[in-house]
Amino acid sequence: MERTILNMYLLVEVATIGGFMLLYPRIARKGLLFGVYVGAERSQSEEARAITRAWYRGGIATIALALAVGWLLGSRPGFPVGTFASTLLLLASFSVLYLRAYRRAQRLAPPPGPPLAVAAIDAVPEPNLALPWAVLLASAVAGVCVIVYTVNRFDAMPDPVPTHFGISGQPDGWSKKSVGAVMVLPIMTLVMGVTLSGVALLTAKAKRGLRLDGGASLVAQNRYRSAMSRYLAILGLLVTTMLASLSVTSVQVALGQRRTLPGAIMLVGLAIFLFAMLGAAWLAIRYGQGGSRLENPQGDAPLTDGLADNRLWKLGVFYVNPEDPSWLVEHRFGFGYTLNFGNPRAVATFAAFLAALLGLAAWAIVSST
Amino acid sequence: MARWNVVVDRSSGEPVYAQIARQVRARIAGGDLKPGAPLPSVRTLATDLGVNLNTVARAYRQLEDGGFVAIAGRSGVRVAPPASAAAAKRNDLRERLRDALAHLRQAGLAPKELERIASKEIAALARDEEGR
Repeated sequence: MERTILNMYLLVEVATIGGFMLLYPRIARKGLLFGVYVGAERSQSEEARAITRAWYRGGIATIALALAVGWLLGSRPGFPVGTFASTLLLLASFSVLYLRAYRRAQRLAPPPGPPLAVAAIDAVPEPNLALPWAVLLASAVAGVCVIVYTVNRFDAMPDPVPTHFGISGQPDGWSKKSVGAVMVLPIMTLVMGVTLSGVALLTAKAKRGLRLDGGASLVAQNRYRSAMSRYLAILGLLVTTMLASLSVTSVQVALGQRRTLPGAIMLVGLAIFLFAMLGAAWLAIRYGQGGSRLENPQGDAPLTDGLADNRLWKLGVFYVNPEDPSWLVEHRFGFGYTLNFGNPRAVATFAAFLAALLGLAAWAIVSST
Repeated sequence: MARWNVVVDRSSGEPVYAQIARQVRARIAGGDLKPGAPLPSVRTLATDLGVNLNTVARAYRQLEDGGFVAIAGRSGVRVAPPASAAAAKRNDLRERLRDALAHLRQAGLAPKELERIASKEIAALARDEEGR
């Protein structure tokens, strides 16, 4: 049963990650070619098509290989080694394919020089921040409540404590009782919820990737940015709900107040998975990267400033502009937004959250062994 | 639908803050931006243009000094009501114009020539307004 579920998970994961990477050229902004701004005309040239065809060929081979590896390696109880290996293989192969396409695309780039920058002065549409703020507040409160709840019951908990649960919700792994083994999950609830809703908030205010088109890209960008922010906020809410209930009920299992985790948690987990996958697919199909699908009639107008300036992008994926006060900017290759690595405050904040998440993961592994 | 109201060209010799201030001034002078109309915050404009916050703040300060915009803490930046550009301000500007004309007369330019220069400058201002 568990093997079948893991194989299905493998299939869905490879199809989602691999499919998204493979079909990326279909949702990319016109004028951008594998992390390089080449302009609308050159992005439709024969050379550009050849680069894209090579990407498709390599991508299909990568997906087939990842599926075969995942299937052959299978799984061990508690650690889906096949899924893990196929994910790594997918990411590594697509990175190599990307770098090859990026280097070829660089030959099509126009001579370097500062592109025009544009902004609207009238009809200033301010983003609606109500939802991300509400989720940020809710996840912070929920996280703190769960931590307090667990701390209050720490002394009453037995040794060892259950730290792993099977698909049926029955505990199937125990660890020596320690602050780490008990507290990682509640702290993770707080950190994950705050991180996701914080990113949703920053996304709502992210830099726009505008065109010299008389405003169509501004409208498209605003709609895309709001949709992306909503998606992340709802994801934050679902993740907080799942982790908070998991924290509370696993304490109750440890105390003998209930025998298994409630089935509803599995349902929320499934809902998160489906929402994350289907939501991303919907955003990609409906809006395209940066809302580019909404602006198609004006898609040939030149891009401006950040997105158009090849000198500011390292390897086509890292935006480094100390002049630009933006925290998040639109990806040139990828979906959604990326960090302005030239903004020290943005980098420090994200590094702190990343360190907290990695530290918690390491703490969880150390505590359970 | 919004038009592009500010276009910054970093390869032109004109400083970026002056480009921003000139274009906003032209929109206000052309009547596209009415008194009381909100302008984007310093951060929004700097983020969209990818320029330093101080650059936009300097442009807005220059516009405020000229009586074109009013910067009021939380409520942000708005096009100034005509009153603030009126009376004292107008007299002051007339004084400066008279000074400039006096300098030109002193340099030997005839009144007819001064009129031609003034007409040319007014026409250039109108072209600037149309361009934006």
